[in-house]
Order: sequence, then structure tokens, then C-alpha cells
Amino acid sequence: MNKNYLFLTLLMLLLAVGTLFIHKDETFANQLKPEELLREITQPSRYVTTDQIAKMIIEKDPTLELIDVRPADEYNKFSLPDAVNVPLKDILTPEGQENLGIEDMYAVFYSNDDIMADQAWVISKRLGYNNIYVLKGGLNRWVETIIRPVEPPETASETEFELYQFRKAAGVYFTGGTQINDTGVKKTKVKVRRKKKAKTASGGC
Amino acid sequence: MGPLIPNDIITGDWNFVIALLLGVAFGFILEASGFSSSRNLAGVFYGYNFVVLRVFFTAVIVAMTGLLYFDYFGWLDLSKIFILPTFVSPMILGAVIMGIGFVMGGFCPGTSFTGIAIGKMDALVFAIGLALGIFIFGETYPLFEDFFNSGSLGNVTLTDVTGIPAAWFAIAFTVIALAAFWFTATIEKKVRKNITEYKF
Repeated sequence: MNKNYLFLTLLMLLLAVGTLFIHKDETFANQLKPEELLREITQPSRYVTTDQIAKMIIEKDPTLELIDVRPADEYNKFSLPDAVNVPLKDILTPEGQENLGIEDMYAVFYSNDDIMADQAWVISKRLGYNNIYVLKGGLNRWVETIIRPVEPPETASETEFELYQFRKAAGVYFTGGTQINDTGVKKTKVKVRRKKKAKTASGGC
Repeated sequence: MGPLIPNDIITGDWNFVIALLLGVAFGFILEASGFSSSRNLAGVFYGYNFVVLRVFFTAVIVAMTGLLYFDYFGWLDLSKIFILPTFVSPMILGAVIMGIGFVMGGFCPGTSFTGIAIGKMDALVFAIGLALGIFIFGETYPLFEDFFNSGSLGNVTLTDVTGIPAAWFAIAFTVIALAAFWFTATIEKKVRKNITEYKF
């Protein structure tokens, strides 16, 4: 028998047995690849505004899931309605992840600003979770825009005034304050000037 | 890296180009292995020529262990490749029909076209029968439809069904194949007096 056959037989056998010893590490099988993560990080699409969140809370949107990544004591002092507390250090624990990756749910991280929330987002994104967002500006922006909105200048556009109206109403909703009947638009008395009727035809055809 | 199209390394438009190149390569290898001769092909059933068994088993074990290594090296993501869905009883019946057709006609669908390519009349007749069979099956499909779709297991692999790691199947198949190579070689030596051993 040809010696080459023997060599090929042994080589094939060796390669087949070798497959037993190659193990892919499946622990991080669902992890996002570094280049994909980088692409996602540079996208601003993960940010949601305080106005969007306020609207969703007021409308009692069932798909919204707020995740407070601040430490528990800060969470106990103040948090957004129906937010769950997952401190940043617990984000990798099974309890920390049970709020993520729920079908049709939009998880929104928030902290005092958006740094800790961004960190939580990067970790979760790397673990392969989708539908996760970050509250742009965090609770500081929340207070600035929803709780204490600043009145736009009179020269501002109509949409800015509408936004201001919404924020004020939302602020009332969240703080339980009394409705102030100030529409924000300075009322000036409209002077009606009537044209005097021309007695005779003056010009024209 | 791979699979190339699901990973967006090349677009899906390349499907036909790749299919054409693979088809040409497949036809060439079939012809080069002597698969355009129905005597070679049917020989495996009569026990005087086992080239079919050797070629196909070689392809299976090389591809099988090769894919496992490719997956390990990160060249091909095995979780992304297409797995043909399994229908247990229709596949068993189909295999029996295929085997009967193979031993009767001396060709399988692919090899009949390599036979035509080198001008074999029996291959041409086989291919006409093949087209006729496809036509009849297509027209009478509603009669078999329920059976055709029965016993579905979905897109499963042996590892999914049994829970045994793929490497063990690779080893088992390789050992069986290599044993079959040596065993059939000794049979061929006894049956065929004027056998010429392939040199390489």
C-alpha cells in the first residue's frame, strides 16, 4: 500500500482529534464587536431628551423603562416616577440585567448628568442589549427643563413657546404644584384702528 | 470574518457569481473523480468500485473538521451559517427513492450533468427522466403536501439534538470514514484483479 495513504490517514485522524481541544470561549458570545461598539458610541441616537421622557411618563407609556444608575441613597432621595434603581456597580450582576433586553421595552438610563448613564449604556451595549437609551443631561437637565423651565425670549419662535408651555404643564404634573394661569405670552392690549370710510372715491379705478 | 454575505463583507448580489464558480468547481471535481461514468457510480452498490464512498466521505470529513477549525480561528462564524431544516420521515423516504434511482440509473442529479458534459448518452436519458420526475412531482405536489411537511425538527444540527459537542461527531465520522477507506481498498483489491493504484 502506498505510504502516502498512510500519511494522509494519520494526518486526517490527528486533525479530527485536534478539534476536541479547540474550545471557543462562549462566555462573551453575544458581545458586540469592538468596531461595532465604537460605531454605536459615536452615534448620538442613544440620547433621548427630557421632554420625550416627560411626555412618555405623562402618557403612561408602558414600553418605557427608566433605570436609575445612581447609588441607592441618592435614588431614595429623588427619582423619576416608576424608575428602577440599578447602581452602576451592580450593572453586571444578574439582578442588574434583568431589566434589560425585554422585548418591546425601551430601557432609558439616567443619572445626575449623563456620564454614569453613558457608562451603563456602553457596558450594556457591549453585552449585546438593544433598545437601550440615555437621558441626555440626566436629572440636572430634568430640573432645568421640566421642573424649572426658563421662559423663552419674546422673539422666540412659536414652537419654543409651545415647548415652554408643555414644560410648565409637565412641571406641574411632576411637582404637584398649582396651576398658574400665566400663559407666558405677554398680553398686550390690541388696539383696533379702524379705517375711516372714504367719502369720495379717491384714486384707483 | 465569514460568512461573507451575512456579515456584509460582500453584497448579496455576489450570490450568483459565487454559485457559478462553486458549480464549475464542483462539476470539475466530480468529472475528475470519475463520477461521469455510471459504472464507477453504480460500482459502490455492487461492491467492485468504491470511489463514490471515498470521494464523498473525504469531502465530508475534510469540510467538517475544516469548518470547526475555521470557526476556532474566527474565519467563519458557524452560528451564522444556513442549516438545512430537517424533516425526519420525508427525508428517509427521499433518501430511499434517491438510492433506488441511483442504483437503477447509475447517476445522481449532479453527476448526470457531468456525464452530459462529456457526451454520455445514458446521462442525457437520465437527465430527461430527472426533469420529467420533477415535473410530475410538481404537478402532483398537493397529494404529498402533508407528508412533505411532516416531522419537521427545524434548522437543527446533531449537536442541537443530542447535546454532544460537534468535535465528537467529527472524530466519529473521521474514524468511520478512514476505516471504510482501508476496508473498501482491500475489497477492491480482491474483486478487481487489474486494479491500478492511484499515484500522487
